[in-house]
Amino acid sequence: MSTSLEWGLLAPEFLLAGWAAFIILIDLFWGGLGKERLGWLAAIGAAAAGGLSLIWVGDTKEFGTLADINDYTTLFRVLFCGIGATICILSARYVKDRLLHPGEFYALILLAVIGANGMAAAHELLTAYISLELLSFSLYTLTAYAKFDLRSNEAGLKYMLLGAFSSAIFLYGIGLIYGTTGSTQFAVIGDVLSGDTSDIEWGMYMGLALIIGGLGFKVAAVPFHMYTPDAYEGAPIPITALISALAKAAGFAFFLKLFAVAFLPLIDDWRYFIAGLAVATMALGNLVAIQQRNMKRLLAYSSIGQVGYLLVGIAALSQDTASALVLHLIGYAVTNLAAFTCIILYYNWTGKEEIEDYKGLAQRAPYVALCLTIALFSLAGMPLFAGFTTKFILFQAAADEDMLWLAGVAAFFSFVSLYYYLIVIREMYVGEAEEKTRFPTPWLEYTALTVLIAGVFLIGLYPRPVLELAEDATATIFVSEELESGEDLVGVP
Amino acid sequence: MDSVDLEHFLVIGAILFGIGLYMSLAKRNFVGVLIGIELMFNGVNLTFISFSRFVESAEPLNGHIFVIFVITVAAAEAAVALALAVLLYRLRDTINVDQIDLLKW
Repeated sequence: MSTSLEWGLLAPEFLLAGWAAFIILIDLFWGGLGKERLGWLAAIGAAAAGGLSLIWVGDTKEFGTLADINDYTTLFRVLFCGIGATICILSARYVKDRLLHPGEFYALILLAVIGANGMAAAHELLTAYISLELLSFSLYTLTAYAKFDLRSNEAGLKYMLLGAFSSAIFLYGIGLIYGTTGSTQFAVIGDVLSGDTSDIEWGMYMGLALIIGGLGFKVAAVPFHMYTPDAYEGAPIPITALISALAKAAGFAFFLKLFAVAFLPLIDDWRYFIAGLAVATMALGNLVAIQQRNMKRLLAYSSIGQVGYLLVGIAALSQDTASALVLHLIGYAVTNLAAFTCIILYYNWTGKEEIEDYKGLAQRAPYVALCLTIALFSLAGMPLFAGFTTKFILFQAAADEDMLWLAGVAAFFSFVSLYYYLIVIREMYVGEAEEKTRFPTPWLEYTALTVLIAGVFLIGLYPRPVLELAEDATATIFVSEELESGEDLVGVP
Repeated sequence: MDSVDLEHFLVIGAILFGIGLYMSLAKRNFVGVLIGIELMFNGVNLTFISFSRFVESAEPLNGHIFVIFVITVAAAEAAVALALAVLLYRLRDTINVDQIDLLKW
């Protein structure tokens, strides 16, 4: 066990933690700054942490035996910090109009980003678990942040209870895996499991099943999805966006790394189990979404459907599917944030969030209506947009791994999803608005929206650079796997 | 009598976990559910401790360290959950999870 730790490797996380404390203090001692500017300040901190993590591009370093800092970590750090900064900018107006205590609000968002970074960086179960809980606790608190809103409290309560329940199950799974393999290091677990496992089978399978169950809760896979629609509907809208982008991406960053490094030797035992979960998740998410009336709830079920597609990538796990999965995750995060930006803007203008309230949006705010249309088409997987390209690459990679039937099911449900997205688009373009006045233009939010939409088109039309980044990133986790099995490698200490 | 070995501890841990699981699913009172979850955590802790005592491992202390962190996390969990319970009780005069049902489908 190494005794000298390179603390500098965690500089982005230190920066985020310090910045969170700084935001709280500013809020406390300089109330004159204003709730909006506080949000912009938090966004600067998150963006700076994202920039700082670029120092380690191409590096392969380890923080003790706890975490590694390599391209995989860097990619996700930048993604998570970007999500955090975007959410801070988008919540500025919302917080100003509707919430108390802005300092803690932004600080908790930054803490959630630290948790997410830790989940992507960890290569050891304890670190991963603590990071997971940091992320989850921040989100529980933020979900219930609208203190006098009954729905917000109820959502927080449900999210918290089911989250705690699932982490207990997840922990029991970790316990059994620790007991059977004697280690909490992903790589060592992988090593033990690739050897003779006949005398530890029982505990090993129990542990694996419990871990899949616990993680299934965290990423909201059917049948562990029950809290998702409630948490999404009750939470303040920027937090809904945060849960759907950050929590999901972090969950899958961890899921992918754990299964690629630790449980890959057992792939024949769990791949059909995960494939079953994927089919159930896609089916339920997409079919129940059809009858939703509330925009947030619709996006909650649509995000459950998206989890189904992501699980396809886990079920057909290989290096190619892993990079396709990371690409789809990035595309999904960007698209979903774009969709939520439109919904936040509309809520800020009108305070409404039912689908029928979007009637005639095209007349009152044509640009927002257009962007929401693009984002929804991308989520449905229409050509030209990110959703199509990333899904295509993902399903193709899955088909190469003899999971053609699963890719077929996924393509079918992605076609079903078009129906409920079109309902929203019809309301916006065909419906007549009750008032004809244009909404005022908030330039900062429009700029953020334009950047996100540009990202949707970039990934949709020219995915090569992003895919290469994803390939570099996943190469590092599969390298450590080969290293453990004794193949010689160049350039790895 | 035989000596007490790993299986006994694991069975006790599993029983604790099972009781907690049952409680958190069957209780209708928020605090009851929370106690069930804490019991599940304690079952896990017992499992960890007994594994790190009995199983040969390169890192025998990891189980102990894990338990310390789990205890800490469980305390933080209780703090967040009880704060929510107080908030809900003030607004709604109930912490029965069946009656907290504004959000569905």
